[in-house]
Amino acid sequence: MTAVELIREGLSQKEVAKILEMDRSTVSHYLNGRNLSWNSIEVAEIITKFCPKDFLTLTYALLNNSEKTRIIVKTCSKKKFQAEIEESCIGCGLCADTCLMNAIVLDDLKAHIDSNWCNGCLMCSDVCPTNSIKILEVENGS
Amino acid sequence: MVVNTKEVAEKDMNVKRSSDEENRELSYKDEICVGCGICENICPVDAIELGDTGAIIRTDADVSKITIDEDKCVLCGMCSVACPADALDFKIDDESIIEMDEYPHLIKSAEIDDDTCVFCKACETACPREAITIARNLPERSKLVTGEIEIDKDTCISCGICEEMCPADAIVMEHHSPTSVDPTVSADIEVDKEKCVYCLICRKSCPVDAIKAVCRSCSYGDYDLKPEDAETEGSSFIDEEACINCGWCEEICPVDAAAVKKSFKGELNIDQDKCTVCGACVDICPCNVLSFPQPSESGDIPEKVFKDEKFCIYCGACEKVCPVEAIDVKRTDVDYTPTKSSSWKSKMESLKS
Repeated sequence: MTAVELIREGLSQKEVAKILEMDRSTVSHYLNGRNLSWNSIEVAEIITKFCPKDFLTLTYALLNNSEKTRIIVKTCSKKKFQAEIEESCIGCGLCADTCLMNAIVLDDLKAHIDSNWCNGCLMCSDVCPTNSIKILEVENGS
Repeated sequence: MVVNTKEVAEKDMNVKRSSDEENRELSYKDEICVGCGICENICPVDAIELGDTGAIIRTDADVSKITIDEDKCVLCGMCSVACPADALDFKIDDESIIEMDEYPHLIKSAEIDDDTCVFCKACETACPREAITIARNLPERSKLVTGEIEIDKDTCISCGICEEMCPADAIVMEHHSPTSVDPTVSADIEVDKEKCVYCLICRKSCPVDAIKAVCRSCSYGDYDLKPEDAETEGSSFIDEEACINCGWCEEICPVDAAAVKKSFKGELNIDQDKCTVCGACVDICPCNVLSFPQPSESGDIPEKVFKDEKFCIYCGACEKVCPVEAIDVKRTDVDYTPTKSSSWKSKMESLKS
């Protein structure tokens, strides 16, 4: 499914294969509907509709690869989020260490969240000791 | 799930958090800790607890003055920034945040200017933390005096009076028992010119006037002696880890070579009525500010605890240790380097009471 989305975004099969670390011919087979397991596609579709946190953690658990997880979750999440960090942030970096999407960096003792990469899992605001992170859903993707 | 680890080595401890992004490490050295509890107050997640410092200090107990709960600690580094003794050090990827400009730092320092210093060692003696070492090379004694001395060995009766009298131990005789072959009590007598100060005591005390000696220091000193030979050279060293910036060195220095900057200003008030004279504050004060006064004359009742506030760093350790709340430490001013983070700024401001 990620492959389909990436192709839709205008990437070539070769690029898709490289990003997902797959064989190019496998990508091609999938995209042309050959050797497809419709059951697995169904399962994948259900997973993408999980709540963002479950989608992200399940994908990460299945792949055990943070780069691939980030790409897949970013590509298949239709929701958009906007993150706001309040002034009470102490720059402890716990959110940055927690974020599986690597969307958070620290600058001048304050966290900054790249909304492009945020998938709204809210794990950062769960760990934040000062309750400084507000994640807003700005597009629900439907 | 991000998990902290804690290593404990005797009374010291390290709390660490490692991720792909960065490694954070908080280290605590109990030996340096003054037990003020500022870390406990500033910790945003209540991960630090100050122990029973009075009991720990007075019984030399095998317990750390603070405990850090590694499950609560978020490794933000605030405690290390606020610690007036630098007992807590916080490192990100092995670099201490003391080196990082984005973090605020308490402005405090102690310096001794070696060019002004006369190496009298008063500061070394006064320093309550034994943080100062003064290394000095004294001038050679022989270069500070001038004169001549000679012993007429034929006249000398080897009585040894000059040897005994010499305040500089400059006269050495080779004593032995007389024999029929050599019926003398000493084989030889020599003056060590490096040691002799031409005080002329030997000449005056010699019963047979065998010593000719003259001191030229006063009459010819200006020609024979170089003033630079009389200078004591040396160097000072302040152990920054041990130094608490109390200001004893600055106060005691006779030539104003020591300069101390303190990060806190404030007030120290002792309620003499409440005080039970237990002495816990006197024992814990890292700056020797507090002491028990001696009555100046018999029958005189002095106040219970005496304070010499000019050495106070307003850390508040005494206030925390006092069992009857007789001590009040107010911090009215905190001097720290600027930070862009408003949360850190307000935390630093919260050190004021």
